[in-house]
Amino acid sequence: MSMTDPDSPQPPVNTNMLLVRSDNQVLQLSLMNGASVREALDATELRVRAACGGLGTCGACLIQIVNGNFNPPTLAERQKIRPEELADGMRLACQLRAVSDGELYLQYPAPHSQWKSLDASELYRAAGNAAIAEHVYGAAIDLGTTHIRLSFWNRQSGRRIGSRYSINPQVACGADVLTRLDADRLSNADSQVLTQLARKAIIEGIRDILSRDIGEVSPILAEIGKITIVGNTAMLTLICGSRDDSLYEPENWQLPITCQPADIESWRKAWRTPHAEIGIVQPLAGFIGSDLLADLLATAITEQPQPALLADFGTNTEIALWDGRTLWASSVPGGPAFEGVGMRNGLSAETGAVCKVSKHNGEWLLQTLDDAPARGYCGSGFIDAIALLLDEKLLKPSGRFAEPQPVGGYVLDQGNFRTGICPADIDMFQRAKASTAAAMLQLLVYAGLTANDLQTLWICGSFGRHLDLNNAMRVGLLPTVDQDRVKLLANAGLSGCEKLLLDPVAQAVLNTITGRARVVNLSGVTEYEERFVDNLRLKPV
Amino acid sequence: MFDFYIQSYNEAVFDTDKQAALDVVNKALSDGLSPEDVVFKLVIPALETMMGRIEKDPDSNLAQHFMTAQIAADVTEKMLEKFAQPPEAVGRVIIGAAHGDLHSLGKRIVTGCLKALMVEVIDLGANISAEQFVAAAIDEQAQVIAVSAMMAHTALGEKGSLQVRALLREQGLEDKVKIAVGGAPYRFDPELYIKVGADAWAPDGVTAAKVIVQLIREVKP
Repeated sequence: MSMTDPDSPQPPVNTNMLLVRSDNQVLQLSLMNGASVREALDATELRVRAACGGLGTCGACLIQIVNGNFNPPTLAERQKIRPEELADGMRLACQLRAVSDGELYLQYPAPHSQWKSLDASELYRAAGNAAIAEHVYGAAIDLGTTHIRLSFWNRQSGRRIGSRYSINPQVACGADVLTRLDADRLSNADSQVLTQLARKAIIEGIRDILSRDIGEVSPILAEIGKITIVGNTAMLTLICGSRDDSLYEPENWQLPITCQPADIESWRKAWRTPHAEIGIVQPLAGFIGSDLLADLLATAITEQPQPALLADFGTNTEIALWDGRTLWASSVPGGPAFEGVGMRNGLSAETGAVCKVSKHNGEWLLQTLDDAPARGYCGSGFIDAIALLLDEKLLKPSGRFAEPQPVGGYVLDQGNFRTGICPADIDMFQRAKASTAAAMLQLLVYAGLTANDLQTLWICGSFGRHLDLNNAMRVGLLPTVDQDRVKLLANAGLSGCEKLLLDPVAQAVLNTITGRARVVNLSGVTEYEERFVDNLRLKPV
Repeated sequence: MFDFYIQSYNEAVFDTDKQAALDVVNKALSDGLSPEDVVFKLVIPALETMMGRIEKDPDSNLAQHFMTAQIAADVTEKMLEKFAQPPEAVGRVIIGAAHGDLHSLGKRIVTGCLKALMVEVIDLGANISAEQFVAAAIDEQAQVIAVSAMMAHTALGEKGSLQVRALLREQGLEDKVKIAVGGAPYRFDPELYIKVGADAWAPDGVTAAKVIVQLIREVKP
């Protein structure tokens, strides 16, 4: 299994652990391979104040060393910090690198924000384009059902200035895409709220990058020349403010749906980006969004002759199979099971989500994101738990517990009721995994292939980040293939969107992909339904 | 001896283990049981027991529902091939998901249960117009049209069972063809079936199959 390009050698990982305290928060920070303290904190909920891109020029990111060994103060720090403060352990987080484990105190954190930095190592590397002479800035946006991911670029130099992700605030209006569409359908006013909510969230993310990573906002907004947005069809319909109910009509599900805003001028005005060409990457069909197209661009599976299968797990799980000539594409309801929503103790991949479960000397070991106290399970942790419950014979392949469970379910950590797993959660998961596995098998049948023919199985979306492949195959979510052939790309959607923003030939590749795509609607296909029922049992495919 | 088959078959169904269920049936056949006995004394009682258990058991789930119905339908189908005389069908049903509705799995459970109860089922699939339902009922001389709807707007919509009712009335077929409905919205409002012009509804697969058999008896001479 490889996280990124298999050809690039992985440098040895050197990690230092830091304890970072503020007056009302404590967190464990792992600093890898010489990352600065600011870079590491930017990916957490405890961020330093900042107004430059980490160059040490603004002096805002003051933090104090309590103990541990760090690099000596840099020139920038000696210019920005008075000698007596330096002697007192005061440093700039953007210049500070750990040499050993240690402890830091952050007296003045940045005001709380939903936005966090993304791990950029998996994202796109751009060459730059000298031909772009004005309005050189650009933004790539992956508008997901639960999360928004975006990055900001100097298109001319090809430099990524910053990247961010956050919960999509629309989640508050309904966890499921269809629920939100329902809201869209029910009232014009609600729909307007949803449209503006998404637009406001995106521009706030961009402004967060500008204020922290450049240090000025309005002048840069005015210099943005291009903004590219990918997403699933429902999200794109909502952000465009479309008022037709076409997504409700099944005959439209397999057809291309046009998502174009009618109010582009007022949209630009609201964002204060007068020169921005706001491009909505058109979805492939009513139930296959342009996020899948972006995944395909990022993974480049259609640019090679060998068969490959790609799945992007989410509220809808989108699946594409490339057989060397044709791209078979479909989507199935993941149910919100893979994003934690709807399960009693389900959580999206956020602080406190149990992301890995193992058993050691008879004890359950629960690993959570940011090492916070467990607040529930995200998809990967739930799959681990199910696989282990099966191995322990506490759970049967039918999805039944061997013994009746109390109302709170089977609790893995007796001291924490949020680690309970209920029969209804397992039911939801069984249906989600059965529809995924059945869809994969059905597309393979259409293409005349078997799982053994696949050179690569791509798992896109943040769901794959902590996924234990053995367990995913054990419970029958993925067909059993050699693990060396599975590749994970968490931010594939954003990465592909960046390609479209920056790579002049990406549009041509995209056109080839859509030209070769065969959209398959699996609902009502008897063969698929039989596979679905056959795959409900918790066993390998 | 027969209790042994019942017990092990029920266990296999309870574990939703199709292969184990088929193994029990094959053992019973090779021990001299007739295919008729397998269906009427093993499969149907087990299906009813299991569905009853699922309804009452807070721990049971929809996945088990699907698998149980599928096992019953598959085993029955295999046994029917072996019947000494082709059994006389109880009646014939046209089933499908309503116009605009692509949820086709709910009706699958009903179909499985109907087949186990010796009812012929013609499944038109999903997103079926009222005209298609009625035309099929006439062509196939079916006694019941079963319309599944999983969303409020497909249950209540003008192109759903309301229009099936209108067409039956127009063509003077209301005495010959009955309408049964099912799906999530009906579970929230037990009176909803009347508003959409149906003759009956059911909350689950086995009840649906029984309700439909009842409707067939009302119509069939």
